[in-house]
Amino acid sequence: MSSWLPKSAAGRRWLGLAPSYFVIGIFMLVPMIIMGVFSFLEPNPYGGVKPVGSLDAYVKLFFEYDLEDNLVFNPGYLNIILRSFQLSFGATLLCLIFGFPVAYYITLQPENRRNFYIYLITIPFWTNLLIRTFAWIIILGRGGVIETPLLAAGIIEDSLRMMYTDGAIAIGLTYSYLPLMVLPIYASLEKLDFRLLEAASDLYANRLEVMTKVVIPLCKPGIIAGCILVFIPCLGAFIAPNLLGGGKKLMLGSLVQFQFASARNWPFGAALSMLLLSAVVVTLIFYARAAKKRAILEGHA
Amino acid sequence: MTTAIDIRGVTKVYNPDSNQAFKALDNVSVTIADNEFFTLLGPSGCGKTTLLRLIAGFEQVTGGEIMLFDDEIENLEPNERPVNTVFQHYALFPHMTVAENVAFGLERLRKPRPEIEATVERVLTLVKMKELGDRRPGQLSGGQQQRVALARALAPSPKVLLLDEPLSALDLKLRQAMREELKQLQKETGITFVFVTHDQEEALAMSDRIAVMSNGEVQQIGGPTDIYEHPVNRFVADFIGDTNFLDGEIVSLNDDLVTCRIGTESMFDAENSGGHKVGDRVTLFLRPEKITLSAPNDANGEDSRPGKVANIVYLGNQAAYTVDMGDGVELTAQARPREDGNLPFTIDDPLAVRFSTRALRVLAQ
Repeated sequence: MSSWLPKSAAGRRWLGLAPSYFVIGIFMLVPMIIMGVFSFLEPNPYGGVKPVGSLDAYVKLFFEYDLEDNLVFNPGYLNIILRSFQLSFGATLLCLIFGFPVAYYITLQPENRRNFYIYLITIPFWTNLLIRTFAWIIILGRGGVIETPLLAAGIIEDSLRMMYTDGAIAIGLTYSYLPLMVLPIYASLEKLDFRLLEAASDLYANRLEVMTKVVIPLCKPGIIAGCILVFIPCLGAFIAPNLLGGGKKLMLGSLVQFQFASARNWPFGAALSMLLLSAVVVTLIFYARAAKKRAILEGHA
Repeated sequence: MTTAIDIRGVTKVYNPDSNQAFKALDNVSVTIADNEFFTLLGPSGCGKTTLLRLIAGFEQVTGGEIMLFDDEIENLEPNERPVNTVFQHYALFPHMTVAENVAFGLERLRKPRPEIEATVERVLTLVKMKELGDRRPGQLSGGQQQRVALARALAPSPKVLLLDEPLSALDLKLRQAMREELKQLQKETGITFVFVTHDQEEALAMSDRIAVMSNGEVQQIGGPTDIYEHPVNRFVADFIGDTNFLDGEIVSLNDDLVTCRIGTESMFDAENSGGHKVGDRVTLFLRPEKITLSAPNDANGEDSRPGKVANIVYLGNQAAYTVDMGDGVELTAQARPREDGNLPFTIDDPLAVRFSTRALRVLAQ
């Protein structure tokens, strides 16, 4: 063995992992630290930050100064945060409702065809999300694919006004992140022992009970993983809210983007990002705890 | 006697419309009595598991019908049939405890809670797993999982219990112990057992009656001694136990005996089972344990034949001897080791070989 290699096993392991530590450090930790630091600085009116410490950004999340310079509670941003959670939750639910049957259907196909379907699921990723979201304007918008034939047939008399609503945002988010729901659910369904389904129906479970008592509990890890993979990017999404919500129905992601791009209040944008990050971390901790508990219970911890 | 399952001319074809069509069952008719331990025995691919799956409702018949206690069950889903299955690989629900697994069927039948709890305790006691009700299947050994699978299938008190090679995944000792227990359990519960296996020893040890299957057809149905002593054809004789087959031609016969020429000039007498005539090509069969081997000078009967030890396979409690009878005829026979542990004969020893003409039977070709 070459002499420059570390002597201990731990040292060699560290050396082997060094490239990944390096990548994670440069591309994840450093930007996060920069954001964290920025959130405690004062904004520069022309973008960027002034190297002066300040808690203003965090104060601004919940309070504003009234005309007499008193701090008063301002639920404006809190409402946006709440809306973000609601819309993300709705989109996640929609993804689950559409994604689970798709994943289940793929699992039931012969093996060679399954890979083809999974390949089809990934095709949307080949096109830019922005372009795909624009397509929804053509579908939902005034004089769009849905409205035009309905108007022509006389089923509706006026525009449905589907664009620039929460519904449009939810549809856009669902469409964007549906594959992220299908793939982990498929991964866990694929491992499912289908003889268990026979055993359940042999033990008098009807089709619904086979699903609720056996299939869903057993692919719960996949369902949870899918929900997390959809929920988290939904919270930070800004393309769908900006394009389909018309920029008026703000979400957390679009708010952050707005602070950096237009409002030029980088510290406030950074503080919002930190808030988003903590929400994600809290969600993941809960998931990790639940997963660990389940692993212990099922005896393969 | 009440009929539990009446299988009438059942045919099952997989992929009937494709070029991979496969006929798993061909016009199979079996009648299984209530309260019977019935075994479907055959090599893998003979259709025995398919038949079991048709009864359980996991597959649909292509032709024929299956009656369960005189009810047509063809159009019933598996969950609507009053039968339960013990699966080959147990198929226990890994996310439930042992007790939850056992309660599963009862809960689906909407039994009241107290009754479910009482039944779960009773069947877990029956299979000696009462203390492990809180465990998960992943924490159990193979034998314990087997017992849970059994308890789970017994808990809803099915009219018929279907067992799909339930012992095949267990090691030998456990398998033998479970045989006894299964037989005992069947007697205690009075439930009709339909047991699928490829292990002839298992079938002989446990069954009231056995159906020997091959290539999607039933070859013979009968009690263990029937099947073993009076196989109807070469397949059954060969599949159940060790057998000597002697191919030859009938040279003469009277009411009791047929005389066959085996090889070029060796003559063997066998019981006349009727329907034979001189010149027929026939196969005689002779079980190894019906042959007595002794040293030539010990033989004092005129019915002994000379032979020579050609090969020995030592099996511990006995040894299988291949005996060269001359004229190209070889017989397999058994002998026990002597009290000092040594085998009575060694290779090339001359032997006196004796067997009764009643032990030699003529098989249909």
